Amino acid sequence: MTATTSSGAAPAVVPPEGSPPSAAAPTPRRTSRWRRAVPIAITYIVSVAVALALCALLVSITGGSASEVFSALIDGSLRSPGAWGLTVNTAAPLLCVAIGTIWAGKAGLSNIGQEGQVLLGAAGTAYLATRLEGPGFFVIVVSLAGGVVVGGLWALLAAVMKYTRNVPEVISTLLLYFIAIQMTDYALTKRWLLASLSTDSRVNNGQPIKSDARLPTFEIFGNSISVGAVIAVVLTALIAFALARTTTGFRLRMLGLNPRTARRAGVSAALVGGTALAVSGATAGLAGAIWLTGGVPGDRFTSNMSSNIGWQGLLVALLARQRALLAIPMAFVFAVLRTGSQFLSATGVDRRIADVVQAMLVLALLVPPAIQEIQRRRAKGEVVA
Amino acid sequence: MIAMVAFGGSLWDVVTAEATYGSTMRFATLLAFAAIGEWIAERAGTINISIEGMILTGAFTSALGSSTTGNVFVALLFGLAGGLIVGFVQGVMSHRLGTNQFVVGLTLNVLAVGLTAFLDAQIEPTVTSTGTLRIPGLADIPLIGEALFDATWIQYLLYPLIPLAWFVMYRTRWGLELRCAGENPQAGDVSGIDINKRRRQAVYVCGLCSGLAGAYLTLGQTGSFTANGVSGRGFIALAAVIFGGWTLKGTIAGALVFGFFSALGSVFQALGFQANAQLLVALPFIMALATMLIFASRSRQPAALARPFVRGLT
Amino acid sequence: MSDPLTGSGAAPVDGAAPRLVVGSLGSHRVAAVHLDGITKRYGRVVACDGVDLTLERGRVHGVLGENGAGKSTLMKILIGLVQPDAGSIAVHGAPKVIADPLAAADLGIAMVHQHYSLVEPLTVWENVILGERVRLDRAQACERVAAISARYGLGVDPLATVSRLTAGQRQRVEIIKCLRREPEIIVFDEPTSVLTPAESEQLFSVLRAVVVEEHRAVALVSHKLDEIIHATDEVTIMRGGRVVDRLATSAATASSLAQSMVGRPVSLRSEAAALGLIETVAEVASDEHAEAAVEAPVVLEVRGATVRDRDGRVLLDDLSIAVRRGEIVGLAGVEGNGQRALADVLSSLIPLDDGEVLVAGARVVTDRPGALGAAGVGVIPEDRHDSGCVLDLTVAENLVLADLRPVSKVGLLDRKAMEARATELMRAFEIQAASPHAMMRSLSGGNQQRVVLARELSANPRVLIAAQPTHGLDVGAIEYMTARLRAAAADGVAVLLISTELEEVLTLADRVCVIHRGRIVGEMSAQDADVERLGLLMGGAAA
Repeated sequence: MTATTSSGAAPAVVPPEGSPPSAAAPTPRRTSRWRRAVPIAITYIVSVAVALALCALLVSITGGSASEVFSALIDGSLRSPGAWGLTVNTAAPLLCVAIGTIWAGKAGLSNIGQEGQVLLGAAGTAYLATRLEGPGFFVIVVSLAGGVVVGGLWALLAAVMKYTRNVPEVISTLLLYFIAIQMTDYALTKRWLLASLSTDSRVNNGQPIKSDARLPTFEIFGNSISVGAVIAVVLTALIAFALARTTTGFRLRMLGLNPRTARRAGVSAALVGGTALAVSGATAGLAGAIWLTGGVPGDRFTSNMSSNIGWQGLLVALLARQRALLAIPMAFVFAVLRTGSQFLSATGVDRRIADVVQAMLVLALLVPPAIQEIQRRRAKGEVVA
Repeated sequence: MIAMVAFGGSLWDVVTAEATYGSTMRFATLLAFAAIGEWIAERAGTINISIEGMILTGAFTSALGSSTTGNVFVALLFGLAGGLIVGFVQGVMSHRLGTNQFVVGLTLNVLAVGLTAFLDAQIEPTVTSTGTLRIPGLADIPLIGEALFDATWIQYLLYPLIPLAWFVMYRTRWGLELRCAGENPQAGDVSGIDINKRRRQAVYVCGLCSGLAGAYLTLGQTGSFTANGVSGRGFIALAAVIFGGWTLKGTIAGALVFGFFSALGSVFQALGFQANAQLLVALPFIMALATMLIFASRSRQPAALARPFVRGLT
Repeated sequence: MSDPLTGSGAAPVDGAAPRLVVGSLGSHRVAAVHLDGITKRYGRVVACDGVDLTLERGRVHGVLGENGAGKSTLMKILIGLVQPDAGSIAVHGAPKVIADPLAAADLGIAMVHQHYSLVEPLTVWENVILGERVRLDRAQACERVAAISARYGLGVDPLATVSRLTAGQRQRVEIIKCLRREPEIIVFDEPTSVLTPAESEQLFSVLRAVVVEEHRAVALVSHKLDEIIHATDEVTIMRGGRVVDRLATSAATASSLAQSMVGRPVSLRSEAAALGLIETVAEVASDEHAEAAVEAPVVLEVRGATVRDRDGRVLLDDLSIAVRRGEIVGLAGVEGNGQRALADVLSSLIPLDDGEVLVAGARVVTDRPGALGAAGVGVIPEDRHDSGCVLDLTVAENLVLADLRPVSKVGLLDRKAMEARATELMRAFEIQAASPHAMMRSLSGGNQQRVVLARELSANPRVLIAAQPTHGLDVGAIEYMTARLRAAAADGVAVLLISTELEEVLTLADRVCVIHRGRIVGEMSAQDADVERLGLLMGGAAA
C-alpha cells in the first residue's frame, strides 16, 4: 500500500496519557483509496458467497436442487410476466419500514416491533378504506394517513414507556408486536371493527376494499407499478436529505452518538428520541397501508396481514448498515427473494428457504466490517481483547 | 357490589383449583429454563435477543433427536446442542467479532424461525414424548403437589438447576469473573480476566439452558414440533429477568408470574369461565409490559450491560 | 520469595546504553527489571522510542515526565497490557516476554492503578482476589486482606462494599490487591492525584515500608515534581517518548528536573502548577492575588443545591456557592465529593432535587436540556468524551454543536458557513487538525480540549465552568489553557474552576472553596491560601 503523504497536517503529536491513540491520518489520496477498497470488496463477496453456498448446501441435503431453486427464484421475481412489477411493489413497503428504522437508529433507538406497527397500520387503513365514502383520491389519502397515524401512535406508546419509566424500547416494541397480533385478530371477529360483512366467510377475514380505494398503478412494459413504490422512494430521499443536511437531522445524529453531550447542547432525549421512534412507527404504518392497498397480498385485511414485511424491512435496514440510500437496493434484493419464493413449490423445496437466505445474507454482511475493525485495531498496535 | 363479590368468587376458584398450579408450572418451567440462562448472560453484561431462536432451535433439534433415535435422553441432548449452536454464533459474533449484539440476535431469530420451519417441512420429524413421572408422597401435597411433583421428568431438572445457578454465580471464580464482566469489564481486564471470553461462555450457557427449554417444550409439553411454536415466550423470559431486577430469585418469580398469565387461558377453560380468546393470548405480554412499567429501575442493572468491551476504549 | 541476587552476572543486555551507577549498590547487582530499547508506535505516533529503564530492589525509582511523554505506555508494556514493537525486557537478569497481565503477575510485577480497576458492587475481598487462578475461598481471602491491611497500617475492612469507600480508601484496596500477590516489582501510577496532602504523606511512608523493609523494587510514575522529590531515590526523566536523563534524586534540583522534563528553561514560579510544585504555587498565589477582588455583581449563584442519586445517596448536600463577574473561584476537593454532580447540574445534565441555580439573578430550571447553556453558562467538562464533544462528528460540527443558528438557514445546515466558522476558530484557538472536516476522534487530547474551549468561549458566556481543565495535558497545553481561563476572567466571565489538583486551583483562583461530601466546608482568598489547612478541609477535618 502506498504510504499516504501528509497534506500539510500538523506533525503527529504524542497523545497525552489516557486518551486513545489517535489515528492522525489525513484524507487518503485517490489511488490508495481504490487500493484499499479492493480487498474490502473481496471480503464482502467472499462472505456473501459463503452464505449462499451454505444455503445451496442446505437445499441439496434436504433433497432439493440448488440450481432449480435459484432459477425458480429468478423466475418468480424477475423473469415471468409482470414479475418485476410485483417485486417493486413488494420492495416499497420494505423500504418504508427500513427507512424509518434507520431514522430511529440514527437517534440511537432500536425499534424492533415494526411487524406490529405494520399490522396496525394496515388495520387502520383497512378500517378507513372500507368505510369512507367519497372520491377515490380522498379515500386513499385519508386511509393512508390513518395507517401512518396508527403505526406512529403504537411506536409512540413504546417511546412514552421508555422516557417515563425507562422500559427499554427493544423489549417494549417487541412485546407490543405480540399484543398487536391479538388486537387485530380480535378486530377481525367483530363486524364493527374489521370483520367482513358477508355472512358466508368461515375464516375471519376483513371486508374487501373497493378498487377505487386502492393505490393507483401505472403500467411499464407490462408491469403494474403501484404509486406506493414512488412514495417509498420519495420518502427515502427525504429522510436521507434530512439526516445529512437539516438541523433536525444533525441533532438527531448527535443524540444517537452521544446523548449526554446532546443534552448539554439542548437536545431533549425524550422529545427528539420520542419523535424519532414515533416516526419509525409511522413509516411502518405507511408500509402496512401501502402493502394493503397496493394489491399484492389480495384485496382485504386478513389475519397475519403483515406477513413478515416488518421483520424483513428491519433486516433491510440492518443490511443497509444505517445508510439511507443503500436501503433502496437492499429492499429490492429482499423483495426479489420474497416474490421469487412463490415459485418454489414447483421445485419441491419449501418456500421458507427464502427466509433462510435473507437471514444468512444479513449475517454474511455483518462479518466483513467486523473483521475490518479488528484489522484496523491490530494495525494500530492495540492488543485485541 | 355484586360484581365485586362475583369477581372475588371467581378469583377464589382460580386460586384453589389444582389446574391453575399445574398449568402455571408447565408454562413457567419453559420460561424458567430460558430465563435462568438469560440471567447468567445479562449478569455477564450481554443481552441475548436470540433467546427465542435458541429455544426454537432446541425444540426442533430435540424433535429431530427423538425422531431419529426414539430415545428421550438423547433427544434432550440434541435439544441442548441445538440451543448451544445458536448460542455459539451469537457469542462469537457479538464478543469476538464485535458485531452489534442486537443485530446478531435479531437476525438469528429470523434465521431460526425460517430454518426450523423449512427443515420441519422437508424432514417432518415425529416425536415420542415423555410421560409424566409421579413422585409419591410429595405429589400429595394439596394444591401444588401435583403441579410440582407429578410432571414430566424434564421439569424436575429445573429444581436442582436453580441452586446450581446460584452457586456457580456467587461461589465460584467463574461466576465472580462473570459478574465482573457485567459490572466493570475494564477493571476485570486489568486484573487479567478475559472479559470477552467470559461473555461468550455466558452466552453459550444461555444457549444450553434455552435449548433445554426448547427440549422441554417439544418432549415434555406439546409432544411435537410446531413451526414458530415458541411464539414470543423467549422474550417473556427476557422480561422476567428485568422484572426480577437481575436477581435469580426475582427471575424465577418472574417466570412464575408470567407463567401464570400464560396459563390463564387453559385454566379458564378448565373452570368453565368465558373469556376473550385474544385477550388471554395477549395477557402474558401485557403483564410483562405492565410489570416492567411498575418495576423498571435501572439501578440494579449490571453497569456494563449491552456495552461491548474493547480494550483501550474506556 | 526467592533471592535472585546470587548467581549469574549482571551484564546489561547487549547494545544497551551504559547504566548510570546509582547509589552504593554496585553494578554487579542484578536489576529487578531492565527495560532495554523499548519502542512502541501507534500508527504514526511514537509513544516510546528506544527507552531504557532499570528498576532495582530496595529503591524507589521515579519515572518523571509530563503528560504525553510516554510513561503510561511504558508502564503498560511492563505489566503486559501492551506489546512493544522493539526492545527487550529482562526480569532478574533473565529475558522475558510479558504477554498479558497474568504473565506479568507470574513474574512478580504488579501495578497499583489509578482508575478502572475496582468493581464497585463487589466487596473488598472479591476485588482483591479478582483475576487469580486458585479456587475461591472466602474465609481465606478475608483473612489475607486483613493481614496485609494490618501489616502496612491501611485500615481496610475486607467485607466492605467498594462503592461505599472514599477515593483514598479505594486506593488502599488497590494497594492490598497489588501486595497480595507478593510482587517483587511494584509500579505506582500517579498515586497522589486522588489523595489529600495528609494521605499522600501516609502513602509515601507505606512506600518506604514496602521498599526498604521488604526489599522490593518500586517505580513511581508521575508528572509532579513534588512527588518525585519527596518519595524517590532516583529518577528517570522522559520527554517525547525518549529518556532524556537519569540521576539520583538527591543530586537533582526542582529546576533541573523541570528543565529536563519540559525541554526548555522553565520558570518555576509561573509554571509551578503544571510542574506540580505545591509550595511554590501557594507562594505565587499569595503574591499575585494580593488585591481583593473588586465588588463585582454575582453572576452565578447556587443556593442550597441538593442532589440524590438513584440509590438515595446524597451527592450534593445543601451546597451554596457564588461567583462574581471577572472572578475565578476555585473549588478544591478530593475526587468523589460531589464535584461531578455539581458540574452535571450546571450542564443541565441532571436536575436538582432541591435548591436553585441563578444566573445574573434569574432562576434557571435545571431539568430542561440546554437551559443553562442558553442562560449563558459554558462548561468545559471533566471528561470531554463523555459530555464535551461527539467523537464521531467532525471538528466543524463539534464547534457548532450547542447553537446551530449562526450556521443554518430555515432548518437547513449551511455547510459553507460551518466551515468558515470552524476555520476561524481553529486559527484563533490554535487547534491542530487535518481540516475542519477531520473526525474529532482523530485529534489529540490537547486539541480536543481546545475544540471544547473554543466552542464554549465563542458563545460569549457569562459563566464558565471548567472541570479539571488541564487534566491529561502536557505542560505547553496546560499553560495555554491557564492563560485562556485568565483571559476569560479578565474579560468579565465568571469562572468556576473545579479541580482535584490543588496546584491548579491555587494558580488560577482568586478565591478557594473546599468541597467535601457535597457541601462547601471552607473558603479562603488565594492570598491567605494555606496548603495545610486546605488539605485538612479536603480530608474532612473541621477548619
